[in-house]
Amino acid sequence: MIITTTDAIPGREVEQVFGLVRGTTVRARHIGKDILALFKILVGGEVTEYTKLVAECREQAIDRMIAEARELGGDAVVGFRFATSEVAKAAAEVVAYGTAVKLK
Amino acid sequence: MAPVSEPTRDELQAMAYADGELPEAERPEFETRLAQDPALGRQVSEYLALAILARQVAPPEPMDHEWARLARDPLQRMGFGVGWLLLLFASFGIGGLGVYGIVGADMATPAKVVALALVGGFLSLLLVTLRGRLRTLPYDPYEKVQR
Repeated sequence: MIITTTDAIPGREVEQVFGLVRGTTVRARHIGKDILALFKILVGGEVTEYTKLVAECREQAIDRMIAEARELGGDAVVGFRFATSEVAKAAAEVVAYGTAVKLK
Repeated sequence: MAPVSEPTRDELQAMAYADGELPEAERPEFETRLAQDPALGRQVSEYLALAILARQVAPPEPMDHEWARLARDPLQRMGFGVGWLLLLFASFGIGGLGVYGIVGADMATPAKVVALALVGGFLSLLLVTLRGRLRTLPYDPYEKVQR
């Protein structure tokens, strides 16, 4: 599965467009990690607890988008984007979306 | 050198499923088995975790090694251990004192029942949520993602 932020893939022709595909997730870390993160916020530096949280969200959202593209019969996602929002405190939401296409 | 065993049909199918390459004809039967066989589900999750890790090609950073060294440092470990132990003790203590306070409080029995029901309800919901999380944890390949 090719995933690209561009609208076209150089050297490849789009045979069929399946439309929007997306993957969404909202994840949180347990309260113990939130407590540790709070102390890291006090002293500064990278808050690895939340870096991991956002990375988990990113990968899961991508996988869900890929699964949707596969279900439709696509073999690539073009115009790929991420979006985030805050649903709840200490929870991260990531939406991965793009256009599923079949390449020649 | 230990002999390398051939992957079983289940392993091959789990790998193909995790990679999205299981033939369309085999998928319904595999997904039915996946819903019924927790061990097969865990196997698919492990392959998914490998696939996720494989696409993260970023090399380790110098800070990672220092964090790993710190995690092995006796003083650091003791600090964490004592800290968590005291927090756990205080949490249970506060909970226990709260229940004791409600039971021994000078208030009408219905009010005590309602207050204890509130505490019990929250505790019950917390425990079933925790149970659900612990039960599904082996099927969550994203837990292994670091950044």
